[in-house]
Amino acid sequence: MSEIKTNADTLFRNGRIYTVDRSRPWVSCAAVKAGRFVAIGEESDVKAAVGLDTVVVDLGGRMAMPGIIDIHNHIMMGGQADLYELRFPSNHSISQIAAAVKQAAEKAAPGSWIVGGQFGSDLLVRLNTDDAAVELNAASLGHPVLLRDDSYHNRWASAEALRIAGVAADTQNPVDGEIGRDLRSGNLTGLMVEAASGIVERALAKAGHYTAEMDRAAVARSIGVLNSFGVTGFVDAASMQPILAALKGLDDRGVLSAWAVCAMPIVEPGFMFGTAGDELFALRDQFRSAHVRPDYAKMFLDGVPGAKTAAFHEPYIADPVRGCCFRGATMLTVPELIRWLGKCEKLGLGAKIHCAGDAAVTQALDAIEVVRSFNGPTNLIHHIAHASYIAPDDIKRFADLGVAADLSPIIWFPTVFLEAHKAAMGTERAERFWPNRDLNDVGVLMAGGSDWPVIPNPDPWHGIEGMVTRRNPAGDFPGASLWPEQALGLETVLEIYTINAARAAGLGKITGSIEVGKSADLIVLDQKLFDIPADQIAETNVEMTFFEGRKVYERRQ
Amino acid sequence: MTGSALIPVTVLTGFLGSGKTTVMNHLLRQPGMDGVVAIINEFGEVGLDHLLVETSEERFALLDNGCVCCSVREDLVTLLDELSARQAGRAVPPIRRILIETTGLADPVPVLHTLMTAPSVVSRYRIDGVVVTVDAVNALRSLDNHAEAVKQIAVADRILLTKTDLAEAASVAELERRIGAINPTVSVMRVNHGCVEPGAVLEAGLFTPDARSGQVASWFAAAAAAIAAQEHASHHQHHHAHGSDVSSFSLIVNEPIQWAAFSRWLDYVAALKGDDLLRFKGLINVADRPQGPVVVHAVQHVLHPPVTMEAWPSDDRSSRLVFIVRDIPAEAIERTLARFGEISRDSIVRPAA
Repeated sequence: MSEIKTNADTLFRNGRIYTVDRSRPWVSCAAVKAGRFVAIGEESDVKAAVGLDTVVVDLGGRMAMPGIIDIHNHIMMGGQADLYELRFPSNHSISQIAAAVKQAAEKAAPGSWIVGGQFGSDLLVRLNTDDAAVELNAASLGHPVLLRDDSYHNRWASAEALRIAGVAADTQNPVDGEIGRDLRSGNLTGLMVEAASGIVERALAKAGHYTAEMDRAAVARSIGVLNSFGVTGFVDAASMQPILAALKGLDDRGVLSAWAVCAMPIVEPGFMFGTAGDELFALRDQFRSAHVRPDYAKMFLDGVPGAKTAAFHEPYIADPVRGCCFRGATMLTVPELIRWLGKCEKLGLGAKIHCAGDAAVTQALDAIEVVRSFNGPTNLIHHIAHASYIAPDDIKRFADLGVAADLSPIIWFPTVFLEAHKAAMGTERAERFWPNRDLNDVGVLMAGGSDWPVIPNPDPWHGIEGMVTRRNPAGDFPGASLWPEQALGLETVLEIYTINAARAAGLGKITGSIEVGKSADLIVLDQKLFDIPADQIAETNVEMTFFEGRKVYERRQ
Repeated sequence: MTGSALIPVTVLTGFLGSGKTTVMNHLLRQPGMDGVVAIINEFGEVGLDHLLVETSEERFALLDNGCVCCSVREDLVTLLDELSARQAGRAVPPIRRILIETTGLADPVPVLHTLMTAPSVVSRYRIDGVVVTVDAVNALRSLDNHAEAVKQIAVADRILLTKTDLAEAASVAELERRIGAINPTVSVMRVNHGCVEPGAVLEAGLFTPDARSGQVASWFAAAAAAIAAQEHASHHQHHHAHGSDVSSFSLIVNEPIQWAAFSRWLDYVAALKGDDLLRFKGLINVADRPQGPVVVHAVQHVLHPPVTMEAWPSDDRSSRLVFIVRDIPAEAIERTLARFGEISRDSIVRPAA
C-alpha cells in the first residue's frame, strides 16, 4: 500500500507576501499542496506542513502577492497577430504596405491566405481607388490577402480574397456596411467598411486558414504574455466558438496557465464573426472545464466617444455631419436589454455590458434595476464595461444594484484617447473621465482590466500606477494629470486588480487573495510596491508567476 | 388614440367538451345576428344562409418585430384581410361583428395578440371581449392538469359556466371560488344547453371607444372589491389561486401619470415578465389629458391600443390598475412603477378591503 503524501508540495518562505486578505495582509511563508494554499503565516505557522520532499522557494525577502486578474481582454487576438499575421505599423503608406505584402507573398505557400494589419484608418479614402487596388493585387502575387485597420472595423482585401468571398461587381452592400468601389470607374477596390468586413472574414474562417491547433497556439501565446506580467486569470470579453474551443483544448492538455472566464456575445460583435447568442450559449457546457468558465454574456450598448458612437446624455460638439445635437445612440433598447438580461439570469449567465457613454451606463443600470426588482437577489454579478463616463446620480446605483465596474482599457490618465474625447465633447466634459474615487467611496465592486489589444500591451502595472497617480506612466503628456481627485490608494488599487476582479469574474472563492484553500496563484516582484514612489510602480518586473502552485513564468536575467 | 369605426371581435374559447360549439350554434341561430361573421377552427356545417362561416387552420408565424415570443396567427390575419376586401368590394353584406371560436384547450393568447398587433387587423378591428366556456363537471380537473385552462380563465372577460345542472352544487360553488381566485374581475354566468342571450356574450364592450366612462369606472371598482374580498378571505397580501401560481392584485395611483414614463414602465415590465403578465387593465389619469381617463389593457407582453374617454364619471381622479399575473410580486410592480413611471411611491396604494 502506498503511503498518502501529507506534506506540502511547495513552501514559499522568507518573503514579504502581501495576501490582499484584510485580516492578515502580510506574511512571510505560504505552503502549497495540490495547487492550493494549505498553510499561511510565519515559519512557525507552516512548519507542520513541510516535509523532506517539500520544494522550498526562498523569496529572498522579495515582495509576493496574489496573481492579477484582468477583467477585460480579447485573449485570441494578441497571440494570433504575433504568430500568424503580417504586422506593420499603422503609419505605413500604401506602398509600404504593398511592399510588406509582397515580401510575405513570396514566402507563402501557394493559395494560402495572407492576413495582417493594422493599417491606419486615415488611409480609408486613399485605399478606395483603382490605383491602390492595382498596387495591392500586384503585391499579392495571386494570394488572397486580408488586412485589418487599427480600429478593427474595416478591411482591405485583394482581388483573390474578394473572389473567394463571392464579392463581385454587382454584389450589394450589406446592411451597415459598404463594399468599396472606385468613385470614377466603379470597380471594386477591396476596401470593406464596417459590416462588409464580415463577408471576407467569414470566407477566411471558412477557408480553414486558422486551424484549431493554430487557435490553441495563439491563445497559449497570449496567456504566456499575461503570465509574464503576473496575470493568472482573465475574462475574455468576446468569446466566440474558436476561442472557447482553444481554451478548452489547452485545459484538456493540462497547459492552460490561467483562469479563463468567457463572455459570449449575444450577437456578432463588429470585429468577430460566427455563432453568437442563444446558439452559442447552448454550446457552453461543451467548453466548460476545470479552468474554463463560460459564465458571462457580452452585449454592446454603444460605441466609443472618440468616434462619437458612444451614447451620452449631453450632445457632442456640433459638426457638419451630425449637426448640433447629436448624443450618440444605443444599439439595444432598454426593453431589449431587459429581455436579454432576463434570459441570461435564467441561464445563470452574468452580463458584461459595453457602455462607453454616460447615457448607455444609465440605460444599462435601468435595465438591471428592472430585472433586480422582479428577480430578487442573485449571485450573478453583471459588469458595466468601461465604466468611465458616469452621471453623478448613477454612481451609487452601481453599489445598490451590485453591478461591477469593469475598469478598462488602461486609460485613466492622459492618453491620445483623452485627446480624441476632448475633440468630441470639449475638454471639461472629456476630463470627467473615470470617477474611480467616487465609485470606491460608495462601495462599488471595481475590477481592473486591460482591453488588450485595444491597448497594445496588457501590462497591469501601468494601470496600477496610473490608478494611483492619474498621470501617464509611460511619460507621455508630462506634467498632465486626469481628474487627480479621483486617484486611489495603492492598497485599494491592488484589491481592484486581484480580489475584487476575482469576485467580479465569479472567481472570488477560488483566487484573488492568498488564503488557505485558495488556488496557489502567486507572483514574485522585483520591487516592494509600498516602499517605492508611486510613479515607479509601472517599472515593476514580475520575477516569477505561479498558477496553482506551478511555475508558469520566470523572468530571464 | 383609436377611431370609432372598428369592427368588434369576440373571441370564444373554452375547455374541451365544455359546450363551446353548442353555445356558438345557439348564438348563431338567434335573431338579429345579421352581419355577424363566425370564424371557427374545426369544420362543421353551420348552415345558415344569412351568416358567413369561415374556417381557419392552425398556422403560426413569428411576428417580424424583434419580439420573438409573440406568435401571430398568420391565417387569421389573411382571413380578416380577405373579409375586409370582400366587404369593400361589396361581395358580402356589411360586417357588424366577428365571432372567433378557438379550439378547446388552445392557448387563446396568439389569437388575442393577432388582434392587438397585426397592423392591417388593428386598423379595422378591435377586441370586444374574451368569452370562455367552462364546464362545471370537468373543469376542476382541467384546472389542476392544464396550464392553458388557467390561462383561459385569466384572460377571460366573461365566463359561461355550462353543465351546472349535471354537477353537484358544492362542486359548482368550489369551481366558482377557483375561478374567482384566478380572475376576480371576470363575470361568471351559468348557462344550460347553450341557451344564452347574444347580448350577454357579445356586448362585453368594456374597452370600446364609445363605452361610457361610468361603466368602465364601475368595472374597476367591482374588480378592486372582488380582489380585496379574495385577499380578505385568504388572509394573503395578494391572492394566490389555490393550486396555481396565478394571482391578482389591484393598485390605485393618487397622482396624474406621465404617459411617456408610464408606457416606458409597461414596456420594461413586458420585456422581462411579458409571459407572466396574463392580463392587465388600467384606467389612467394621464397628466396632460385632464378631461377624461385613458383605458389600457394588455395580454401578456402586448398592449392593446389605448382608448380615450371623454369625461370622468365622478370626482375620483385616481388611476386604477388591475393585474392578473403568474408569479409576479406586487411589490416589484409597485417599486418599478414608482421608479420608471415617475410616480411618488406614496401615491401608489392598494385599495382597502
